[in-house]
Amino acid sequence: MPFEWIAAMRFLAEGRMQTAFILVGAAIGVAVIVFLSAILTGMQQNIIRRSLLSQAHIVIQPAEEVARPQPRGVPGGGEVSVVQKRAQRLLSIDQWQKIVDEVRGVPGVKVVSPTVAGPAFALRGDASKSVSVNGIVPEEYNRIVPLPDKMVAGTWRLASTDVLVGDELAKDLGAGVGDKLRLATAAGSGVTLTITGIFDLGSRGVNERNAYVLLRTAQDLLNLPGGASAIDVTVDDVWAAEDVAQRITARVGLQADSWIRTNQQFFIALNAQTISNIVLRISVGVSVALGIASVLVVSVVQKSREIGILRAMGASRRQVMDVFLIQGGIVGLAGSFIGSAIAAVALRMFQGMLRNPDGTPLFLLPFDPRLVAWAAVIATLTGLAAAVTPARRAAKLDPVVAIRA
Amino acid sequence: MPDAVLTLEGVRKSYDKGKPTENEVLHGVDLALGRGEFVALIGPSGSGKSTLLNVIGLLDRPDAGKLFVEGRDTSRLDEHALTRLRGHTIGFVFQYHYLLSAFSAIENVMMPLLLERGRPDAAMRERAAALLEKVGLARWAANPVGNLSGGQQQRVAVARALAMGPPLVLADEPTGNLDTKSADGVFELMREVNAANGTAFLVVTHDPRLAARCDRVVELVDGRIVTDAVRRAA
Repeated sequence: MPFEWIAAMRFLAEGRMQTAFILVGAAIGVAVIVFLSAILTGMQQNIIRRSLLSQAHIVIQPAEEVARPQPRGVPGGGEVSVVQKRAQRLLSIDQWQKIVDEVRGVPGVKVVSPTVAGPAFALRGDASKSVSVNGIVPEEYNRIVPLPDKMVAGTWRLASTDVLVGDELAKDLGAGVGDKLRLATAAGSGVTLTITGIFDLGSRGVNERNAYVLLRTAQDLLNLPGGASAIDVTVDDVWAAEDVAQRITARVGLQADSWIRTNQQFFIALNAQTISNIVLRISVGVSVALGIASVLVVSVVQKSREIGILRAMGASRRQVMDVFLIQGGIVGLAGSFIGSAIAAVALRMFQGMLRNPDGTPLFLLPFDPRLVAWAAVIATLTGLAAAVTPARRAAKLDPVVAIRA
Repeated sequence: MPDAVLTLEGVRKSYDKGKPTENEVLHGVDLALGRGEFVALIGPSGSGKSTLLNVIGLLDRPDAGKLFVEGRDTSRLDEHALTRLRGHTIGFVFQYHYLLSAFSAIENVMMPLLLERGRPDAAMRERAAALLEKVGLARWAANPVGNLSGGQQQRVAVARALAMGPPLVLADEPTGNLDTKSADGVFELMREVNAANGTAFLVVTHDPRLAARCDRVVELVDGRIVTDAVRRAA
């Protein structure tokens, strides 16, 4: 081991109390940062996971219909007109098969699934409930919303006369698997289907309103023969959804809304959390750095004679400086390991305390090893930075003054 | 002197240079130390002994005059070269031992070699062990220096000063903090090293008894050498 490392370790070992103090200080700082970061990312991931569970990352819809008044063109004369907004019909995306193929070729896109969605009434006996009919291609759609995992009764497989309903809707209608259900639209068309499966997507609203049928069944019911009213898309990186949506718009010329845009409020809140976390990290980091620096400055003062004699014996300024820089780095690194261990224990306890009524953890808080690696790197750099001032002070010591002092 | 370890020519040194309190401490000192000499530097407090020792030890530069170490003109050397030259040619023994308390006796003796070569090796350890043997502390090699007596600590300091095999050792009141018996032991040790290795010693002392046991006595008064007497042939 080189001289600088030996001396750094010995100096740290010698100043037992001081070393213990700065180690504990650094460890607490790292523990706070790791703990809070894990909780924050865990919570964010949970919220995102839940909100993306029953939702595509990007939805492509047909262009809105707009009223375009023809100007009558009175030369030289002004014209005042009131243009009423057009009511939006349920429309099919023009040449949606071609668009589906094109979107599949957009980088970052994972799954593309055409759907036909529209309002209808679910009728059974005296009960009548308004529902949102979703015509899907099950094999594709399952890769967006994992229906097979969400079934509480029956099967997810659909034939053209089958329908899947949520558990709330089934309860409201008093229906079970195998029962008949009539879906009727305001326009007057209707179809009688068999309930083959009941799902629970984890959201009351969705479980009350959603009914899944085959694409073709929905096309007939909603009077969109051969059409698709929307194309659902999932992407590889959920955070890049907006970029991918813009790429899709650029390629196919249709409005593509990412979940990031449709949940903007949520993202503003998320950003505020992230920023406050960064501010917190920086403040903790600075106070840890100041702690390390002040202890090392004291150590330099205490050891000024020994440093002077080292210089007299031929130690270069660089060597003396490195001895103290290394001490700062070691304290940061060791503090990060101790702190990460403390944070891991605290997270485990926290997860054990917050439980759902059914005993499952309220949050899944993954203890990310990358976070520990980052903490180690940052804490070591912080320790080094904190040691710069004391180290330069030590290196600048004039051996004569140091020895005579 | 033809085979000089050290030559000073008209060395002057002031403190607070350029300020109203400017004070010239050394007024043109000429001195030459030959190989293997054992010289006492005496003089009253404030005569400039310590300043002279700092200049000779390359810890401080003279304001005027020249200082040759092993024939090399030190005024041309930069900070780094000076540090290297100091490490190789001059060993220090101070009134207070200034050993590194975080290290054992043998590690303290190894320290100059460690600073020079960067990392410890077996040869270094052997040399340090041999030096400790020579100063009679082989048994205490692994002890932290804080556990040694004052006399033992000063012996470790002497062994450390010899680690690089320097042609010159500067000793500033090396026995000032020791009781008479320990002081005698340390002084005898230095004489033995001088006789066995031909290492030159310049010993600053207040103690006339010690000065009397040196080969040559240089007396400094008010920054000038007033007497320079050879007591007996080396």
